[in-house]
Amino acid sequence: MQPIRGEAVRLENVWITYSGAGKPAIRNINLSIPFGVLTLIRGPNGAGKTTLIETCLGLLKPIKGNAYLLGVNTKDERIFEVRRKCSYVPQDFMKPPYEHYTAKKVIEMGLSSNRVITDPLPDYFQYELEFYAKELDVLSLLEKPIGILSGGQQQKVFIVRALIRRPKLLFLDEPFSSLDKESREKVTEIVVNYIKKHRGSSAIIVSHSFSKIEEYADIIVTINDGVITDIRFQR
Amino acid sequence: MLLMIPLLGALLSGFICGMLGYYVQRYGVTTLSFTIAHSALAGAAISLVLGFNTTLFTLFFAVASALLIGYLTSKSPIRRELICMGLFSLLNAVAILMLYMSSTNVLSTVQLSTILWGSVLAITCEKIIAIVTIAATFLVYAVIFKPQIDAILFDQKLAEAEGVNVKLHSTILLLFVGSAIAIILRITGGFLVFSLLYNPVASALLLSKRANIQQLISPILGSSVAIAGLFASFMYNLPVGASIALLSSVTLLLSYVSRVTINYMLAQRSVRSKEGIGEAFTVHLNRVLIYQNVSDTVRFITVPAELPTGTGLPSETQRSPINLLDS
Ligand SMILES: Nc1ncnc2c1ncn2[C@@H]1O[C@H](COP(=O)(O)OP(=O)(O)OP(=O)(O)O)[C@@H](O)[C@H]1O
Ligand SMILES: [Mg+2]
Repeated sequence: MQPIRGEAVRLENVWITYSGAGKPAIRNINLSIPFGVLTLIRGPNGAGKTTLIETCLGLLKPIKGNAYLLGVNTKDERIFEVRRKCSYVPQDFMKPPYEHYTAKKVIEMGLSSNRVITDPLPDYFQYELEFYAKELDVLSLLEKPIGILSGGQQQKVFIVRALIRRPKLLFLDEPFSSLDKESREKVTEIVVNYIKKHRGSSAIIVSHSFSKIEEYADIIVTINDGVITDIRFQR
Repeated sequence: MLLMIPLLGALLSGFICGMLGYYVQRYGVTTLSFTIAHSALAGAAISLVLGFNTTLFTLFFAVASALLIGYLTSKSPIRRELICMGLFSLLNAVAILMLYMSSTNVLSTVQLSTILWGSVLAITCEKIIAIVTIAATFLVYAVIFKPQIDAILFDQKLAEAEGVNVKLHSTILLLFVGSAIAIILRITGGFLVFSLLYNPVASALLLSKRANIQQLISPILGSSVAIAGLFASFMYNLPVGASIALLSSVTLLLSYVSRVTINYMLAQRSVRSKEGIGEAFTVHLNRVLIYQNVSDTVRFITVPAELPTGTGLPSETQRSPINLLDS
């Protein structure tokens, strides 16, 4: 499990087809994302942004080509160990009103990838939990069941869960979709600061509308109808 | 006293099936466990014909198929359900062919009818100890790995993305299911063991939407139908497996009816409690459609049936108005 230095994500001529679907969702994707950068992926609905992210994480396996996450081929048996260094905020995060786990419990789950009941939570947990929850204005909601929080509040809880894992690589799929303008700016600021503070960490953000993040992005990938149509490096 | 052993056996079988069945549902491995149950039946049939120890051979088949399915589904690009159904057909064909080709004295044995239809006599002290051991081991496992299991129960895809070894935990669950099935198979019969694994939890999912309550009532329902089935089989001299399966199906049906009724009543309350929100509504299994007249158009909104009334009525984000006349 020795990761190759220098590349957070590498996709080589990757094709993905969903089972049952005739036409591939993404085709012939070549992409290399280094450590320590903020990458923005944009494109219209159905372009293949979510597919691209889940391919990077190895949740979807290429039918052709190879995908490497932190230097490890996603087809490798032990890819799940590499994923422990990554975080993901999915696009379809909403939970139904009867979901009973509290917001705090949901955040705590982010640290359970290989925890057993007797393992203590890391000592920074409580501090960072309060820090991020305060920043995102969900501190008073932590003891409430996640299902009764509003969409935006739930999305913030998932963002806290992603950050508290201290990931080497942070995947955010439309993290602004349910947030108000103020919160969008706050999340942008938090993510930008996270990358600055945890040197070498990368973030990959999917967003088809919110442009503020563009100012901070080092790489902007545009995807359209399953193919990358433009890769722009800023600064 | 004579009744104690079968009673205890039925109670424990129902309990362990209800308990494991809950995880089977939430992990989304129902089809896999279905195949394992029938693989156990094939194993039992083969052992009978070849004269091997039935319990051991059934156990071997159940465990081997759990591992095989786990392996195949991780290696092959073919959909998991297709693999399972293919395997299921193959195993049942093997079981029936084995029985068909065997000598007639196998066909007339009590043992054969036991593995096919189940028998109260199959409940022995050893079996009870075995079931208790499996249930206790599972509980210990579930407590030790609670953080990871909670993450899977909450959101399987996210858990996988975060590096929880979902495949390993699914396989462990299927191994527990396989072992439990191998023991319980001769009580309920090979064709019906799956009903005990499926119906109580399906009823629990209908009766409550809260995971912690579902988890609680599923084993209770399992034990209740198993005991009731046992009594029915004693009283009316019916095969025990079929009695249990029938009662569990009736429970499922009643749960469905009560869910629909509860939804209907909830909907009536929500429509009444907020004036003007809707004039008419229809109830689906877990959604309520409320129609409203807005000026001269008809719109409808859908809300989850469990939403409490008054304050809990749909917020703007949960409401999805669709203009019927526009579309
Ligand atoms: N589970 C699935 N099965 C079959 N096809 C799918 C599945 N998920 C996505 N697709 C198809 O793959 C293509 C890309 O979908 P994807 O979800 O990656 O788009 P997206 O860029 O994330 O869109 P959005 O902006 O709406 O989130 C679409 O054409 C979609 O129809
Ligand atoms: Mg998407």
